[in-house]
Formats: sequence, C-alpha cells, structure tokens
Amino acid sequence: MEIRTTHLKRCDLIEPKGRFDSSTSADLEAALRASMDAGIYRLVLDMSGVEYLSSAAIRALVMAYKECRRWNRGDVRLAAVPERIQHVLELAGIWSLIQTFDTTTLAVGSF
Amino acid sequence: MSALASVSSTDDAVSELCVRSQASNLASIAEFVSGRARQSGMDENTVFDVQMAVDEACTNIIEHAYAGRGDGEVRICCYVRDADFVVRISDDGMPFDPDAVPEPRIGAPIEERDIGGLGLFFMRQLMDRVEFRAGDLSGNMVEMTKAIRGRR
Repeated sequence: MEIRTTHLKRCDLIEPKGRFDSSTSADLEAALRASMDAGIYRLVLDMSGVEYLSSAAIRALVMAYKECRRWNRGDVRLAAVPERIQHVLELAGIWSLIQTFDTTTLAVGSF
Repeated sequence: MSALASVSSTDDAVSELCVRSQASNLASIAEFVSGRARQSGMDENTVFDVQMAVDEACTNIIEHAYAGRGDGEVRICCYVRDADFVVRISDDGMPFDPDAVPEPRIGAPIEERDIGGLGLFFMRQLMDRVEFRAGDLSGNMVEMTKAIRGRR
C-alpha cells in the first residue's frame, strides 16, 4: 500500500496503490484528510493502482466526497478505475454519483 | 501475520488458516482464500468476489465480535463441496446477530446514507449463500458458498 499526493494548479492528484482493507483504509482517509485540511477540496483520485477497496475504504471515499462538495467548494473525481473496483462501487450505489474519467489527464482537466 | 497463524491441509483438501483478531492479518487472509479459490478453478473475477466477502466477514469479527481486542482467534476454513467453493469462518467473540444490522440505503441520497451495514451487504451480494450460526455461549460461525463456475 502506498499513496502519493501531488499538488497541481487546480486540484490535488492522489494516487493510492495496493489493497485498501480495514487496516489500510485509515491511510487513504488520512491522505484525503490532509488535502482537505490544507483547504483543497478539488481532488482527483487516480485509481489505476488500486487492487482492492473494502467497505471501510468506501466509507472514507464517501466522507471526502460529502465534505469536498459542501457549499459547492469542490468535488472528488475518479480516474482510470479498474473494472473490479467499478463493480464494488456499483454494488455500494456510489458509482452513479461520483464523476469518473478514463484518464487522469481528463479528470484533472475537468476542474 | 502473527505467531498464532497456522495453515493446515488435510487429505480431504480442507484448508484452514488460523490468525489473531488483528486487522493487519487481513492481507494474509485474502492471500490464503484467493489461493484456495483459484485452485478450485474459479475465474479471477469470482476469486475477487470471494476474497472480498471473506475480508468483510473477518473485518466484522475483528471490529464487532472481538470489539477491537487483538488476542482472539479467527479461523478460516475452505473446501470444495460438489460444484461450490465453501468458506467457513469462526471466532470465539461476542455473539453477533446479523438481523440486527440495518440494510444500507443504497438508493438514498448520499447525505442520508448510514455509515454501517455495508460489509454485511457486500457479503450477501457477492456470495450465493451466507449463513450465520451463533454459538451457545460465545463465538460465531458463518458459512458462505459460491458456485465455482457461476456467472456474476
């Protein structure tokens, strides 16, 4: 598990890699929290390296989604979502809510 | 993996993994279950579904049955029964009543979504059958099955 955050002009690009089960989802939550604490509410998550996302990680994602969109100050957008991760997000009923893009470039450019 | 971890395999091809009730063991549990599911001849998407259901079940045991206590035992047992892959997970924690967990409101606006219940929901969605049995005094057992050549 590894998470890299890059500050771009218009948003933060967060690249989580590996398995996010209930043990490691706290790190994902901390990465999302760090951007929001810095006053950055426009977040792009490059999901291409995510092997697994448990319900705990989905809760962290939903928490950030709600907080970023409050008062229209931002959004959480996903890029390059692997098919299995899409399936999990569909089951959780959040796939249709979150904006997704085929590439990180498109997601960053959408802000 | 903790020192307690042990893997055993009998001639009936029943494999068992026993680990301490710590979230840091979830990756080892996933590796164990994925390996056995793959051996049964499942495709990779089905292997993923099974390991996810097991991950959520073991997370519930660690967080709820043992309430975060790290010195409990989680036992995971896998075998093939006819055309099904069977996983039985047992613990010695507090009895768990799955009917007391409200279903997550998947269709509700995101602001009204509850935080809990998603793990159990995933288990039921991903597996063909999920059956709970509470122990008399303590402990729980859950048996989950998935058709080896099913479609999802």
